[in-house]
Amino acid sequence: MLLPESIQSLITALERLPGIGPKSASRLAFYLLRASEDVAQDLSVALANLKANTAFCQECFNITEAGRERCEVCESPKRDGAVVCVVEEALDVLALERTGGYQGKYHVLQGVLSPIEGIGPDDLKIKELVARVANGEIKEVILATNPSMEGDATALYLQTQLKQYGVHVTRLARGLPMGGDLEYADQNTLLRALSGRQEMS
Amino acid sequence: MYLKHLSLTNFRSLTRLDVEFPRRNAPQKAGGVVVLVGSNAQGKTSVLEAIYFLAAFTSFQTHVDRQMVNFHEAKNPLAVTRLAADYQRGRSKHHLEARLILEPTGVNGQRLRKEILLDGVKRHISDVIGHFNAVIFVPQMSQIVEGGPDERRRYLNLALAQAVPSYARVLSEYNQALSQRNALLKALNEKGVGLNMSKGTGGQLEVWDDALARLGSQIILWRIEAVQQIERLASRVHHELTRGTEVLRLAYEPAYDPTKPEIQLGLKLDTVIDRSSFELDEIQSGFLEKLKKVRNEEIARGVTTIGPHRDELRFIVNKVDLGAYGSRGQMRTTLLALKLAEVEWMKERTGEWPVILLDEVMAELDLQRRADLLKYVGESEQVLLTTTDLNLFTPEFVQHAEIWKVQAGVVNKSM
Ligand SMILES: Nc1ncnc2c1ncn2[C@@H]1O[C@H](COP(=O)(O)OP(=O)(O)OP(=O)(O)O)[C@@H](O)[C@H]1O
Ligand SMILES: [Mg+2]
Ligand SMILES: [Zn+2]
Repeated sequence: MLLPESIQSLITALERLPGIGPKSASRLAFYLLRASEDVAQDLSVALANLKANTAFCQECFNITEAGRERCEVCESPKRDGAVVCVVEEALDVLALERTGGYQGKYHVLQGVLSPIEGIGPDDLKIKELVARVANGEIKEVILATNPSMEGDATALYLQTQLKQYGVHVTRLARGLPMGGDLEYADQNTLLRALSGRQEMS
Repeated sequence: MYLKHLSLTNFRSLTRLDVEFPRRNAPQKAGGVVVLVGSNAQGKTSVLEAIYFLAAFTSFQTHVDRQMVNFHEAKNPLAVTRLAADYQRGRSKHHLEARLILEPTGVNGQRLRKEILLDGVKRHISDVIGHFNAVIFVPQMSQIVEGGPDERRRYLNLALAQAVPSYARVLSEYNQALSQRNALLKALNEKGVGLNMSKGTGGQLEVWDDALARLGSQIILWRIEAVQQIERLASRVHHELTRGTEVLRLAYEPAYDPTKPEIQLGLKLDTVIDRSSFELDEIQSGFLEKLKKVRNEEIARGVTTIGPHRDELRFIVNKVDLGAYGSRGQMRTTLLALKLAEVEWMKERTGEWPVILLDEVMAELDLQRRADLLKYVGESEQVLLTTTDLNLFTPEFVQHAEIWKVQAGVVNKSM
């Protein structure tokens, strides 16, 4: 039996999402089919609004509400503009914000270097970071990419790119297990990693 | 270390197996020997394959894990093969379980997932390898000498992963860095960077050079050390097996060789170079420098040309390279020496005897070698042998061993 086109196309769309295999995609699709009208309706509105109502902060590339030039962190007068923490994804900003232990600003790369996936420096917000540093206000850059092979490689790459500006570059300490994601780290581990950040010579 | 219990579900033709294993009786220096006897195609080798899988998490017979899933079971949309062992290591008991799960993907596909649990906790293969150790002897191991260099690297990797903590993790990270670097070299090649270096690599290649050299130098150092230790043990055994007529040497030839080229050139062919004095830093910085030197060539070829993924190991008997000029008998003796050395080396490194698995090896040895082999392995804690013919063993040996009958995937101890 062939599935009706509308179900099959939802399954295909779900399958393209990270972390969702064919099995969970079918399960989700059939769940939505059975669930009340509201569930599907809410989801479709939320999805449509996602792109329409969000934007990227023009300074740090964190997510922000549409129509705003800069995110809450960048706008806040309380944040220290001399320190910038470089992370892979906007979710990492959330994780670090939850600790309440960081008073500087952020820069979201929107990914990491990965030649296998065809991701090079031009696909990330690296030029933008270098431009921010070149402006001169920033005194310290904390490299907080994940402690993975690609996260480490990206940090090393950034370090060489920033060298000429004489800015103080540090790397988050290895309180984090190799292969662990910032996103899933508990707050204590994150705080320890932050306070134990190391000089990159 | 020794196995106490093995339980298999849907492993090849062994749809259901549950057996207790005997252990060596230390004061009497006897026991712990099991002979699996049966006609062809009854499942003897499969039992050893399953036990070895719990040590190496790969088969010695196939690179395709799904072949180990019972083929009737594999017809189900969701098929599960389960291997579980209770074993004793030193004073502690452990439970190790491996699951091969064939699950449906897309329209008609199936994908295999491996799950490893140590003492009930799901773990990554590279963190569990080395907890349960086994050494396997099989007739096809002549491939180590006769086959391509990848057979010898596989041999080294499987032995080192079991005995050197972190080896498996570093090797898997090295392979990851290698894949990233190869992808980048290919991309640079396609952009024509190789032809026109003025375009530059934009500093990206340096980052992967760094990872490759950092991880690669660690692997080279471990291999230098291990080959030297195994050589020492293997040449002693080989000397005894050949009654002093032959000298065996193992020549590790790293594709990135920290030895200075002047020194390499000054040596005669088939001389074994001693690299034991190299330190990690030295290998790493030399490797990095060499990567810079070959950069243009590597971009032009779009692939990494030096590093542990291209290492070679050669067996030299009386100054002659066995891979090229060895006789059958010489190869067999060398492999026997190599394997016996591996057992001893693992014991030295880990403080525990590995479980010894001998598949059908008696048949191809002469009487003297059979006696030699049984004398050596008799020292260990647990030995499992397979045979189609019990007459290959002496009556005393058979008397002191447990004889298990294997028939149509069922193991019967009542003999
Ligand atoms: N995935 C599988 N599912 C079911 N049966 C399998 C599978 N793979 C192999 N077999 C069967 O298992 C048997 C081979 O088992 P094994 O190699 O362990 O035999 P053996 O007793 O060692 O034989 P020999 O004396 O010939 O070496 C064959 O009959 C083969 O068809
Ligand atoms: Mg067999
Ligand atoms: Zn911002």
